[in-house]
Amino acid sequence: MVAPKQQTDRDRLRSAMPYVALILVIMPFILSTYWEGLMTRFLIFALFAMSYNVVFGYAGLLSLGHAAFFGAGGYTVAILKLHYNVDLFWISAPLGVLVATFTAALFGIIALRASGIYFLLVTFALGQMLYSLAWNVKWLNSKGMQGITGIPLPDLAIPSFTLNTTWFYYMVLIFFLISAVLLYRLVRSPYGLALVGIREDESRMEAVGYNTWLYKYTAFVISGSFAGIAGVLFVYYNFFVSPNHLGIITSFLPMVMAIMGGLGTFLGPVVGAAVFIFVENFASIFSPQRWPLILGGLFVLTILFAREGIGVYLWRLWIGVSHRFGSSKS
Amino acid sequence: MKAVNDVSFSVGAGERLAIIGPNGAGKTTLFNLINGQLPATAGRIYFFEKDVTALPTHRRAHLGQARAFQIISLLQKLTVLENVLLTLHGTQPSRFKMLRPVQDFKDVFDDALQTLKTLGLLDKQGECVENLAHGEQRRLEIGLGLAMQPRLLLLDEPSAGLTKEEGVEVIGIIKNLGLDITVLMVDHDMEMVFEVAERIIVLHYGEIIADDTPVQIQADQRVREIYMGLEE
Amino acid sequence: MDWFVINLLNGLSWGMILFLIASGMSIVLGAMGITNLAHGAIYMVGAYMGWTVAMKWKATFGLGLLVGGFVAGLVGLAIERGLLRRLYKRPNEQVLLTFGFVYIITNLCLWIWGGWPRMPFTAEFLRGSFEILGRAYPKARVAVILVGLILAIGLWWLQDRTRMGAVVRAGMDDKETTMGLGINLDRTFTVIFFISSFIAGAAGVIGAQLLGPRTSLGLEVLLLALIVIIVGGVGSIQGALLGGILIGVIDTFGKAVFPQFAMFTMYLTMIIVLIVRPAGLLGRKV
Repeated sequence: MVAPKQQTDRDRLRSAMPYVALILVIMPFILSTYWEGLMTRFLIFALFAMSYNVVFGYAGLLSLGHAAFFGAGGYTVAILKLHYNVDLFWISAPLGVLVATFTAALFGIIALRASGIYFLLVTFALGQMLYSLAWNVKWLNSKGMQGITGIPLPDLAIPSFTLNTTWFYYMVLIFFLISAVLLYRLVRSPYGLALVGIREDESRMEAVGYNTWLYKYTAFVISGSFAGIAGVLFVYYNFFVSPNHLGIITSFLPMVMAIMGGLGTFLGPVVGAAVFIFVENFASIFSPQRWPLILGGLFVLTILFAREGIGVYLWRLWIGVSHRFGSSKS
Repeated sequence: MKAVNDVSFSVGAGERLAIIGPNGAGKTTLFNLINGQLPATAGRIYFFEKDVTALPTHRRAHLGQARAFQIISLLQKLTVLENVLLTLHGTQPSRFKMLRPVQDFKDVFDDALQTLKTLGLLDKQGECVENLAHGEQRRLEIGLGLAMQPRLLLLDEPSAGLTKEEGVEVIGIIKNLGLDITVLMVDHDMEMVFEVAERIIVLHYGEIIADDTPVQIQADQRVREIYMGLEE
Repeated sequence: MDWFVINLLNGLSWGMILFLIASGMSIVLGAMGITNLAHGAIYMVGAYMGWTVAMKWKATFGLGLLVGGFVAGLVGLAIERGLLRRLYKRPNEQVLLTFGFVYIITNLCLWIWGGWPRMPFTAEFLRGSFEILGRAYPKARVAVILVGLILAIGLWWLQDRTRMGAVVRAGMDDKETTMGLGINLDRTFTVIFFISSFIAGAAGVIGAQLLGPRTSLGLEVLLLALIVIIVGGVGSIQGALLGGILIGVIDTFGKAVFPQFAMFTMYLTMIIVLIVRPAGLLGRKV
């Protein structure tokens, strides 16, 4: 909710959305398989980043263990394939999301015992605990390696139809769009506004009647659920899952994306994901060894100089441009 | 040394009670105890006959406590309208709704606009709170406290940072309140206190040293000593 | 019986290293409210520098220790002065910034020293072992316990008996009043940050006797420090010491009794402490 002038800008952005969606739909017809894979990866990580935005951007809880839920979703799918040879999407995916949600429910209770700084430390440690589990427990690994491999595209149980990568892209797109709509409604609802209030001044919110712990907890769990969805889709895209997908290395990614794109704005994480995927791709061609350095450097620079995120700068640019060209329409 | 030590008193419904005392006397601590932001180490707190000692702050809000804070607690980075909506939803079941936009909750939304109109801030609804003048913020904060339709209004230094005119405004607001609201106020501005209060409690080093009508308090020897001793 | 004693000694030496790692981070966190996630990476820099001085340039271990600490201190100083300062009132962003540095520092170490892990190394005079209860016990580990104790006492003295320590503790309780008293908190903070990083670097060299320098240390050590802090409590040397020794001993015995699930003893301890005493065993309420 913003001042009237900003409202029309937002309406404009909203009206541009169908066009963006259209572009996303047409993409596979225009681009090569390589780019299609990249777009799939982008959508998955955009979802992952959007999920993180709920707990960090909106509720203000700095969690360093978000990949735990991402990985939990992914590992569930992988284990079902490895040990029970389950290919059916309609079994694996819901179970994956369920496990991710359950993990978030459990971790949330432990982590929220700690406030402020401790919360961060605890989420980090809990995430690393899962990493450790995945590393050490034999049952959680394919023979002779770290992680689980051999996860093909899922079976949708549609007669005479098998998924190929293009259809999988569309599947991911659908899940992404549905999730985006749900999350959008969440942040615009009274609940979402309350999260922002709690982030800004928890004790005032309490004094006004909000059970702040409950809000923080549910935000944590909801965040985890959506991360789980991303994780499930990821493992199908990636063919294998490794302990790294549970640990801080992966937890860092949605953080970077959300911050680079604009924390606490709805589309910020999506922009951040796009920037990330693009730069990662670029770096992998020219200087794969130095990619973490580039990433770290970009991250640090964003925090220091572009605190509101690149996404917000793009938004301002877009407003400037659309005002110049669209003034006849307003 | 305890911030609040063996303090025991009752407030009558509809009463206008002011608590005064030098800095560090424990006034804000007392409010924190009543409000639930600080747990009591001993003793009980009754709110309209209900024992609320163990009740968390948010539940006390639902029972009818509203509080205006010493340092304005409005959410500075949010707009005026958002602040109002948040406060109004706080005691509504709709506060936990996750799937429909805030604007859809028409009753609350209209209430919000109405509240802003009463406070004379309707045209500022889209402004971020931090852009409002201090007096306007104070007015908004108290106004929001009232919008919660409380049974008890806790005013923590309402005159802090206000100009003479703004102070008069606040006095007016308090004076216009109905008897269905009990007002408990802490302040240093003696003029405001004497204008508004029908009863004054004096706290010193966490203990009650006087409890009487304003006239009596003014004449009380011990009170004069304390305040004399602090006069620079 | 000797199994028990040997493991206890191992636990103590490991615990001392954990204490050294965690103490710096804990003090900075308690005194300045800064969660320096790059602390582990700074440890790593110290370890690598110590290795370079002691092993590559063949100077003494002691020199390696000093250089390692000093370079680490400089890195910490650079981060604090150059960058953290700009984010004075924004704790979340400070944390994130330090995390960005983990990536940068780790990758730089990789660039400079290459990806192959180094073997643990120790000083000339510490090679070999003592005889304890009829078994050979590495001198290096005994040295670690002693050095750890000395440093613990030194830091404790600094914390409780010096003006700087008092300033820090006052600053922890009430920053505004302390600053109002005209005490140059800024400079004190910079000094503390330097000392914290120095200790981390020195710990890196000391710890290198058990954990050879490698690029994964940045995150591994960070995790250990965090667990110790969560268990022992923030902001005090005592907390870091208790947490460190407790975790060190529990972890060592855990590894000895069920090696497969070794790491979990640490996590389990952490979770139990969180449920029972969320602020840590010796922690003040945050």
